[in-house]
Amino acid sequence: MQNILKLVVVATPLLFIGCGSDLSAPTSESVKGGELLVDFSDDAMKSTLLSKGVIDENQTVYGYKAYKIPYTTTDEEGNEVKASGLFVIPTGLPSIITTKLGLSMVSDDHGTIFANAEAPSVNAKNIGTPAGSSVILTSLGGFATLQPDYIGFGDSNSHYHPFILKDSLANSTVDFIKQVKKFAADNNITLNSQLFLTGYSEGGYASMATLKKIEEEDTGLSVTMAAPMAGPYALKTMADVVLSQPKLSVPSFMANVGYAYAKAYTQPVNSIINEPYASKLPTLFNGDLTRVEIDPKLTTDTTGKTGLFEPNFVNDYFANDNNWFKEAVTSNNLHTWSPKTPVRLVHCKGDNVIPYAISQLTEGTMKSLGASDVEIIPVEQTLIAINPSKYPADLNLTHGDCGSPAYSITTAMFAEVRKKTIGY
Amino acid sequence: MKKSIALSIIVSSALTAGAYKVPEQSVNSMALGAAYVAHTDGADTAYYNPANMAFMGDAQFTEAGLTLVHLPSNRFQGLQAYSVNEIYPASNKSEIENLQIPFLHYVSNSIEQFRWGASLSVPGGLSKEWKSGHQKLFAEEFTLKIIEFNPVASYKLSDNFAVGGGLRFIYSEGVVKSDGGAIKPIKRDMEGDTVEYGYNLAMSYRPTSDINMAVTYRSNIDLKEEGDANLYLGNLGKQYSTDVTIPLPAALNLAVSKTWQDRYTLELNYEKTYWSEYKNLDFNYGSAIPSALVGAFDDPKPKNWRDTDTFRVGFTAKVSPELTLMAGYSKDETPIPKEYVSYELPDADANIYTFGFRIKANKNLSYGFAYLRDEKESFSLAQGENKNGIIGKFSGGGADLLTAGVSYKF
Repeated sequence: MQNILKLVVVATPLLFIGCGSDLSAPTSESVKGGELLVDFSDDAMKSTLLSKGVIDENQTVYGYKAYKIPYTTTDEEGNEVKASGLFVIPTGLPSIITTKLGLSMVSDDHGTIFANAEAPSVNAKNIGTPAGSSVILTSLGGFATLQPDYIGFGDSNSHYHPFILKDSLANSTVDFIKQVKKFAADNNITLNSQLFLTGYSEGGYASMATLKKIEEEDTGLSVTMAAPMAGPYALKTMADVVLSQPKLSVPSFMANVGYAYAKAYTQPVNSIINEPYASKLPTLFNGDLTRVEIDPKLTTDTTGKTGLFEPNFVNDYFANDNNWFKEAVTSNNLHTWSPKTPVRLVHCKGDNVIPYAISQLTEGTMKSLGASDVEIIPVEQTLIAINPSKYPADLNLTHGDCGSPAYSITTAMFAEVRKKTIGY
Repeated sequence: MKKSIALSIIVSSALTAGAYKVPEQSVNSMALGAAYVAHTDGADTAYYNPANMAFMGDAQFTEAGLTLVHLPSNRFQGLQAYSVNEIYPASNKSEIENLQIPFLHYVSNSIEQFRWGASLSVPGGLSKEWKSGHQKLFAEEFTLKIIEFNPVASYKLSDNFAVGGGLRFIYSEGVVKSDGGAIKPIKRDMEGDTVEYGYNLAMSYRPTSDINMAVTYRSNIDLKEEGDANLYLGNLGKQYSTDVTIPLPAALNLAVSKTWQDRYTLELNYEKTYWSEYKNLDFNYGSAIPSALVGAFDDPKPKNWRDTDTFRVGFTAKVSPELTLMAGYSKDETPIPKEYVSYELPDADANIYTFGFRIKANKNLSYGFAYLRDEKESFSLAQGENKNGIIGKFSGGGADLLTAGVSYKF
């Protein structure tokens, strides 16, 4: 009996000693010069894409590994900026590719965003899953994808974003490519010498700016092919059209142009943008809000007393050849040069934000200046040619709907070049 | 990293009654299907009705024993819908499990009108494992282990009326594992434990020498399991501090027994269990988790359980001075609305059949065995009926329990 009592006495305190758990923490890959944010196997990627109806069973799908990489770049004013970007590599490839042939790189500049949470490395950290165009380029295309956050997002969120300003967009892309090459070498990721450039919308503009910088400056880089998509390369023409129209389809875009150019060219914001909007812009563009949240806080009237742009500014823009904004957008045009690299201007004819005519103008201008390998790739016609039974003959895709098929076509083009040159 | 005492070596848990409560904690209670509140006469009185300790003979009573639990598979035939456009075949069965549950009871000598006792028991628990298929995403393992130390006291107010009560000290461990495998590349491993407190009350009235009437109440105890969770997206995992709260619900028992010829006793028991306390299953994390995991692992999962009524009848026959036979039947109601049934506990209404015997070896020592059969009813979920996307039929499950115990009086 005494033994039983002893057991009770001994067992009772034990009940109250345990706490917490002895669960071992997951071990994570050791990375030099970056942080692993996403790691999905090829099986997991295939199951996910199959469940979404994106692919069929026979499609080859690679795993997806994404790293955030910090780096240093230079802003529009020439100052050093601590920036960040996302580097995505495919996994599950044959060892001959990962050890000998190496991965081909695609620098993929992202489209217009406003919220910091939408930046590639921030989005990957917050959500933790493969997302966006890098799924097409990496898991379906087998490319190493490079996505700079740009100045103004990610690690440089406190800096204003130099929206549609070619120098800093090109800087942030070129510096990221260089940093990724170092990161790959430090972490035993085998890259080959191929570098493709692409990007959609603002990213199309940024990729064109990058190509121009690489061709015209001593960056140590060379580009295999560039496929800018739906970018406003002829910026002066875009400005002329927008400022002459009574209504703005997406006021946040033009407000952001006005805000960024005023900052970069040290002009008072309220000399371009009407109050009360001018005073609101620092808050609207601080990285907390998305476009959908910003647009309702602005007006769709282009100018006038209640319009977005200050009437005197608009009048001067059209009347004065020395108007600072006219000179600024002219100097940021990206269609008036002659690239030596093969360029494919991927664009939808139904684009309702960046007119298809901008790519036509770019192709024509570049060719007239001596470019020998510049070509427009009309997305709708390409889709119909690939699968005539799937698409109607009068297919017209808007700017929003065009992105995904544009990336698929671009990925296929890049893969074709890689197959011919690298062999896979 | 915190460390926990490995109580799981000696304490396992099982599903033997509605949801995850285990009412049978001794040979007699197992043999009578827990229709054992009004007419209690052993050391287990400390647990089932401490007020009755006041009427026990002037001696010390002890009982110790072990219950072997066999949990057959739950079978599921049907589909799993993640959305209206994502529906998979999902027929599967859960793992068979074999567990052991110990118990220990003690009642002291009387000290004038007072008496004290104590019990070490497993008042609830759950263990469900689905090692494959879509079920693995929801309940690769869902284990709740509960052990209770329950010191009690009684006070005899008159020769036929007594009250009792005690404190409930609960130690509990929880393990939750979820793995979407290739279907959904997300995974969770969570371990936690907690120490909680509650109380129990009892009242016994004996209007005649052959009739016992009793009311008992055990308080609700919220088990806030605190520990760590490893969350994985694809191959990438991170550890978070976490907690999740699961109630061990309050229960009210009303019981009456009638004895004939000092040999035959019939007890009727009604139990109300306040499962409606269980409104949702809500995991909390020490820091923000990736938003892709929020829907599966962070958003509260509504449970909205309902209070249940259980009716029990137990019959005891002292067929000789040495041999006592016992048998019981319970109709047990599940607290889980079909709308909120999930794989971690695909519970259903049950019929519980029990029998057992006790042999008196000498004037101090007796021993006994009891068997319990828990038969769950099959049930089906039509498309759109279940919030967790389960479409199909559950069958099987239930439990078989075998208890052996020894009692000593001195």
